[in-house]
Amino acid sequence: MLPALLYVVAITQLPFLVSIYYSLTNLKDKTQSLTPEPTKFVGFQNYRQIFSDPFFREAMWTSVKMTVLAVLLSLIIGTAFALLLDRKFFGQGIIRTLLITPFLLMPVVAALIWKQQMFSSLFGVLNKALNFLGLNSIAFISDHPLASIVTVLVWQWTPFMMLIILAGLQSQPSDILEAANVDGASGVGIFRQLTLPHLRPYLELGALLGSIFIVQAFDAIDVMTGGGPGSTNVPYFVYQESIGGGFRYGSASAYAIVVVIFSIVIATFALRLLSSLFKDEERG
Amino acid sequence: MTVRKRRGTRLGVGERRTFVAGVGMLAWLVGLLWIFPVAWTVFTSFKTEQDAAAQTLHQGLTLARYSDVSHSTTGTLSLQTAFTNSLVVVIVSTVIVMLLALPAAYALAIRPIHKWRDVLFFFISTKFLPVVASIFPIYVYAEKWNLIGTRTVLIILYIAINLPLAVWMTRSFFMEVPRELIEAAEIDGTSLLNQLRSVILPIAAPGIAATALLCVIFAWNEYFYALQLNFASGSTMPQWVTSNVSTRGNFLAKLSAASIIACLPVVLAGWATQKRMIRGLSMGALK
Amino acid sequence: MHEARTGSVRSRRTLVVVLITAAAVIGATFAGAASGRSTAKTISVAIVANGQMQDIAKLTPSLFTAKSGIKVKYTILDEGKLRQVTTRDVGSGGKAFDAVMIGPYEAPQFGVAGLLKDLTPLAKGDRTYSYNDLIPAVRNALSANGHLYAAPFYGESSFLMYRKDILAKNGVKMPLHPTWQQVAAAARKIKTSSMAGICLRGKPGWGDLGAAFTTVLNTFGGTWWSAKPNGKPDKAQVDQPAFKDALDFYSTLVQDAGEKDAANSSFNECLTQYQAGKVAMWYDATVAAGTLEASDSPVKGKNGFAFAPVFKTKSSGWLWSWALAIPKSSPDPSDAWKYIAWATGKQYLRAAGPRVKGGWASIPPGTRVSTYRIPQYKKAAKAFAAITLAAMKAAPINNPGTTKRPGLPGVQYVGIPQFQDVGNRCTQLISAVIAGSMKDTAAISQCQQIAAQAIK
Repeated sequence: MLPALLYVVAITQLPFLVSIYYSLTNLKDKTQSLTPEPTKFVGFQNYRQIFSDPFFREAMWTSVKMTVLAVLLSLIIGTAFALLLDRKFFGQGIIRTLLITPFLLMPVVAALIWKQQMFSSLFGVLNKALNFLGLNSIAFISDHPLASIVTVLVWQWTPFMMLIILAGLQSQPSDILEAANVDGASGVGIFRQLTLPHLRPYLELGALLGSIFIVQAFDAIDVMTGGGPGSTNVPYFVYQESIGGGFRYGSASAYAIVVVIFSIVIATFALRLLSSLFKDEERG
Repeated sequence: MTVRKRRGTRLGVGERRTFVAGVGMLAWLVGLLWIFPVAWTVFTSFKTEQDAAAQTLHQGLTLARYSDVSHSTTGTLSLQTAFTNSLVVVIVSTVIVMLLALPAAYALAIRPIHKWRDVLFFFISTKFLPVVASIFPIYVYAEKWNLIGTRTVLIILYIAINLPLAVWMTRSFFMEVPRELIEAAEIDGTSLLNQLRSVILPIAAPGIAATALLCVIFAWNEYFYALQLNFASGSTMPQWVTSNVSTRGNFLAKLSAASIIACLPVVLAGWATQKRMIRGLSMGALK
Repeated sequence: MHEARTGSVRSRRTLVVVLITAAAVIGATFAGAASGRSTAKTISVAIVANGQMQDIAKLTPSLFTAKSGIKVKYTILDEGKLRQVTTRDVGSGGKAFDAVMIGPYEAPQFGVAGLLKDLTPLAKGDRTYSYNDLIPAVRNALSANGHLYAAPFYGESSFLMYRKDILAKNGVKMPLHPTWQQVAAAARKIKTSSMAGICLRGKPGWGDLGAAFTTVLNTFGGTWWSAKPNGKPDKAQVDQPAFKDALDFYSTLVQDAGEKDAANSSFNECLTQYQAGKVAMWYDATVAAGTLEASDSPVKGKNGFAFAPVFKTKSSGWLWSWALAIPKSSPDPSDAWKYIAWATGKQYLRAAGPRVKGGWASIPPGTRVSTYRIPQYKKAAKAFAAITLAAMKAAPINNPGTTKRPGLPGVQYVGIPQFQDVGNRCTQLISAVIAGSMKDTAAISQCQQIAAQAIK
């Protein structure tokens, strides 16, 4: 137990602590000033400017929109898929295999596939189909950057949600369901009264895990839009401030620390709500 | 009525055959649509560049793109190098993750330490720091310790990325083990290791497999650290794929071929173990 | 538990199949792998993913390693990633590379900051290197205070390329030194529903849209920042009328007569569309001419060339080069120089001509005057060689606009460290204006804020 804990502390907290240190300095890449500028301690100066930075606020808002949309949509669609797959039909295994594939792809590859094959105005399948039907091409990525990125995220994460919900459906004891059926309850009624409550912890797990991963979404933005109004989320914003062009490591670290504090606060509240995840088991 | 704990292998409760057939067809439609981008990419990978760019099929199908991307000039990143690097990094990091996660999970599940809730939260909170923020401190230290461009630095980082999730999931699977069995083993005086082997692992095995698979997926597909910390010699598959985005001429077919090659191992692994994943998740990733 | 058992037997079998397949794949990929370690010296070089660079990567083993015994390991990255990696490496004293490829934006700044090796003594001391053969404008753009900090491998300016046949069909004559107004009128006249009048860059990035837009900004009398008497940046000038005029001109031209999905278009996209006959004119890098006139180009022989359009200045073409530099922290600077001297020397250009895929027209252009005297090159590049050389010589690197500005020399960028970030973020906004999703006034006010904040 101790080795694992120590290891995680060292590897994950060391950069965190160093980031805290950097955030209190004016550390920049040496190329950013023509005369050598010694790194000096500047206290909370970096933090003060964060709260007056409208672009950071915009990035946070974009993060919220992107994460909530992606998590909700993939959860809903994933549940729908799980319900579809929850019975034996011809080729059930094949369809399930096909549906989980997007989750197994590299996020960079998934983004490239959508950018070049599907959304592209020059080569894209969707626009070719639209033109074939006599409609005008749509510049998906340029005109709808947030929607394009959310599409790719949902495409990749729906299978993940589907697997979790499928697990939930299959762990539902069928004798209760059969009893309800015998009693004359309708399919929809069974779903609402029995299945949904049973699925609740699974839905919450999906939402929590999904949020943790999707809020960090980076590759899709880098590949598809390269940032820009409407598609820059917080990780991408911090990246732009740091090695993505700003090279202001001190300031970027301050933004990152603020984000971590924020996330911890939100997560604490969320986990209190999702108490079923941390329930003390009834044992024995 | 037989009590079946697992469903999904027979008709759902109260469903008629035609309903199932209809749902089955809908599922087929949905599945094919969902996989369409991938299927189209596979299709494109067998075309010539001209056909790929125009979405036509004038020049027939060929394997030439696959051989194009598998060859490389001496001195630039080759498929073999990238593949080997990825393989080593993923296997080593996943093995170490599981070796570390098992005892940690034991301490949080079987014999919970006093502050187990806080420890779990702490593990998950390590994922809140954006990867992009930690890259510069990591780069600085990797530089100091001469780890830039090596597989070691990636192994270390991937372990750190996957360990929180692995601990959390493994703990849940360990919770599934009936208390009585463990107590019986303790009374018998079985050592910790044997307890693990004979009692806990057999029951939690599918869940552990599911966890390991997730670690493999995330490690194989990781792009950011690999790009920033590794150059020609230490690069991994994601970097190899993007090196096929050319600035001269069309590249869509070659990129498709490279994408398929790069994603194939993890896709095959996922396909082979999906049932286990579902079984593992249903066992109690929730408690 | 019959179900469970068959289930696990089946999945065990599939697992075995998967493992065998994996082993087979691994075995196959290793079959062709090179073996062993050699004791030869090896240097590590980071280069950009352009055609000419990939050519030299292919030719290095036979033309360089064979003669010098030095192996070269290339890291090939796209422009954006290359910049990140080289800036971070050079700026943090990293030892990952012996030589890095940078441009005239970075070279003077890194040089003055003391992060690069001074190449002047090496270049001048080697007679076969022919220091004076380097095109002066290119050489000066890569130098600071008379010291050369990066050796040019490839150089380009910008000009206008157009389909002679399409213009003739519409009765439009393109002068050799056009104004932007003439070009805009022509574009609006010759456009059809299936062919745009002109292709202009719209993809965000200080080196993408930023380059094209800044040349327009300059010749419209605008600039990013004004300069103090000592040359340092004074005030952000994004809110000035000239900036708005340039922005409105550029964005409306693209919206009226420009390519589809302009907000996603840079060099590659315009090249594809021009070659496919979807655009009739194209303002971009001179190096494009080599591809347009290559033997396998669908538009070979149909292209006319004119100098970069102007308005209030005499010339406006940009100047860019990809050049090799040696970081001060390079592990092996002497071998790095041997490599650089070969890669940017006269001999490589002559050796590459018959060996590279596009033929003589595809050798790295725009670095040496002597290139333009090679008979085979003159023949293959007949349509554009002279105007390219003239454009490069005319690039106004010391006086690109109508007012005093910081960060000189430089045409399409401002040679101060802050420009990279400001340029990236502002071109995001300008690109949104082009896409029609943002008003020009909104973009200007946000960009002004970014630009002002950056020099505080």
